[in-house]
Amino acid sequence: MKEYHNDQSNINETNINTESRRKFLRGLSLLVGGTVATALVSGNSLSVAMAHSLNPVNVGHDLLSDGKIFPLKQLKQLKSICAIVIPKTDTLGAAEVNTHGFIDNQLFHCYEQAEQEKMIQLLTLIDEVATKSFSQSFTELSQDQQFELLTALDLGKENFDEKQRADFKSLKKLICFGYYTSEVGASQELRYIAVPGGYKGSIPYKDSEASWGSQGLYY
Amino acid sequence: MTENLYINNTKEVYDAIVIGSGISGGWAAKEFCERGLKTLMIERGRVVEHRKDYIGENKAPWQQPLRTKVDNLLVKEQHQIQQQCYAFTDATKHFFGNDKDLPYTTAKDTNFTWIRANQLGGKSLLWHRQSYRLGEYDFNANKNDGFGNDWPIRSADISKWYSHVEKHAGISGSKDNLENLPNSDSLPPFEMNSPEKSLQKKFAELYPQRPLIMGRTAHLTKPTALHLSQGRVQCQARNECQAGCSFGAYFSTQSSTLPAAAATNNLHIAPNSVVHSLIYDENTNRVKGVRVIDNDDLTEREYFAKVVFVCASTIGSTQILMNSTSKRFPNGIANSSGVLGHYLMDHNYNAAASGDIEGFEDEIDSGRRPTGLMMPNFYYKPDSKRGFLRGYALAGRAYREGWQSLQHQDGLGVDYKNKLKQAGKWRFGLYAQGEMLPRFENQMRFHSTLKDKWGMPQIEFDCQFSDNETNMMIDAAEQAEKMLKAVGLKNVSSRVMNGPPGLAIHELGTARMGRDPKTSILNAYNQSHDIPNLFVTDGASFCSSAVQNPSLTFMALTVRAVDYCVKELNAKRI
Repeated sequence: MKEYHNDQSNINETNINTESRRKFLRGLSLLVGGTVATALVSGNSLSVAMAHSLNPVNVGHDLLSDGKIFPLKQLKQLKSICAIVIPKTDTLGAAEVNTHGFIDNQLFHCYEQAEQEKMIQLLTLIDEVATKSFSQSFTELSQDQQFELLTALDLGKENFDEKQRADFKSLKKLICFGYYTSEVGASQELRYIAVPGGYKGSIPYKDSEASWGSQGLYY
Repeated sequence: MTENLYINNTKEVYDAIVIGSGISGGWAAKEFCERGLKTLMIERGRVVEHRKDYIGENKAPWQQPLRTKVDNLLVKEQHQIQQQCYAFTDATKHFFGNDKDLPYTTAKDTNFTWIRANQLGGKSLLWHRQSYRLGEYDFNANKNDGFGNDWPIRSADISKWYSHVEKHAGISGSKDNLENLPNSDSLPPFEMNSPEKSLQKKFAELYPQRPLIMGRTAHLTKPTALHLSQGRVQCQARNECQAGCSFGAYFSTQSSTLPAAAATNNLHIAPNSVVHSLIYDENTNRVKGVRVIDNDDLTEREYFAKVVFVCASTIGSTQILMNSTSKRFPNGIANSSGVLGHYLMDHNYNAAASGDIEGFEDEIDSGRRPTGLMMPNFYYKPDSKRGFLRGYALAGRAYREGWQSLQHQDGLGVDYKNKLKQAGKWRFGLYAQGEMLPRFENQMRFHSTLKDKWGMPQIEFDCQFSDNETNMMIDAAEQAEKMLKAVGLKNVSSRVMNGPPGLAIHELGTARMGRDPKTSILNAYNQSHDIPNLFVTDGASFCSSAVQNPSLTFMALTVRAVDYCVKELNAKRI
């Protein structure tokens, strides 16, 4: 994992693919002998196991039209919220990887209507409070003002009650899910290993290091 | 693999018909084929080819349109029941049944979750792979307290067959030398992480009678020459098993038993063949074959053989027997005792406890281990003071929290992002896996009018946990909480839940073995008391549930039954 996670600038899909495939083949050859390893890899097994291809959700990237749930105006607002909750740092943030487009798509396909409406109402509320407090829509606020407003909502203070706070926690969950299951979130902000090669009970870890983006995703 | 492995219509009279291609059916077919018998395996669903048909395998979440989740519309229309299974995701959904085609009902005020996997390989593709032998106290349990009938076998009858299947399937685990959990013929266990090792030590000091062991699981931790020759290699610790594993690193029909059976050239498979009933010859008192309905076009056809092994899953097998009626057996074939469909069991997972582990901040684990730890049943010796009969195992693992746990905290922006980037605290939890008593009133029966699209009467479940199971779960939650506090965990909490039977996916009983033909369906070799050439070797044959995950015992009972059956055939007693 060191080989392809230390140097962030060097990471792209092809590198991960080639490097982990090479590393994996090396390990596999030691394990089962060269002939069996080659047979396994040339067969369907590894082409399936190692296949990586990008398949991004495109809704929201251009921000030219309505989404499946949110009208264009709210999609833009959601993008601003994504940027405040998980901003760009050394790695891209939630807005840059189109988490707003993901949420629109995910709400449409995987959530009940009540949950969809709750999110629409939450965005409406945020905009209303922005207008009341700053006489501007949420997207027109400075980033500091946006941060201030969302912090009050996150804590259920000032203009916001506990129910609205809980709704915002649901939105934060959607933002986190969208970001940390995106390629950038899972494999650049965090560390993603498709084929670990085995289980090690203990490896050194320092607080500054990225945790796993490849744990707890399935069962 | 033979070109004509898959057949549709045939007039051939086979030596053996095996109904079902899951864990039990795969083993039955392999053992018959390797003994030289021409064998027909009948599968109600489609063909799933090893590797080629694992279409969800190794896809990163961002390569899945809904990032592992399944579209609501699809769930609502086809998988309302199946989606309750923890393993139901976008990468595995095609291995679960379509609930629209597989209706069932439950009696008033009862509930039962029936998980289906109707394709070649059955639930061997989807299972959780935990593999434990039954112990002597388990075989004696019914006899000791009078619930259920006495198992007609003991450890000595089955231990060599456990070894036989373990060596071929590949079961990883430690040699723990426990009184009621016999060692397996095993591959090395998976590693424990540091907090787990530390807890194991503390448990050993404080609770010497309650050891914490590494979960025994059907994964190749160190494949043998036999496994490598089958194209199976070491487990890569992806823990995405239910999507299918091209490494063949966990046991499934596709990775293990099917290739062995096919290599003999004695195997035919009839896919898309929904068994409607067994064909019974009253004059000879033998089953002659099976009547099937085509899965797709609903046409009828028949297959014939000298013996029939029913390995269609606990509920599936009994459904077929119940639908095979004749003058002699008006209430289901082989049912002269009248207990067919009764004594339905599952395991009870309704208690859990968890807490925080302090320390170990300078380490993390690597890879996704496909098993956890197990604290085997420590109540295996009967004790009337306990307040309930039988016992439970506790399973768990230690892990460092990731973003999934940390996301709930307050905060926004760079600070929030940086907190979620780092690993959180270590957590440890235990959940119970309790034994369910065999009770006559817990049953599956035919609905009086409703049928499915193949014309099979629908199953109506009438099955509930009793006070015994409830009291057991209250105790499990208490004990787990007490122990976790004692070994030093912080913020310990426990809970008792109220889930219905079925969802442990350990359905057992309904065509039980026994010594007495008046109170059981099968004898000690899984052979029908009534009809010598009819066998049922899956979970339907269980007399009690014990607490262990049952699949390894399905395998051992099946191979033992085949060995016996072939000897009986050769001696012309069948």
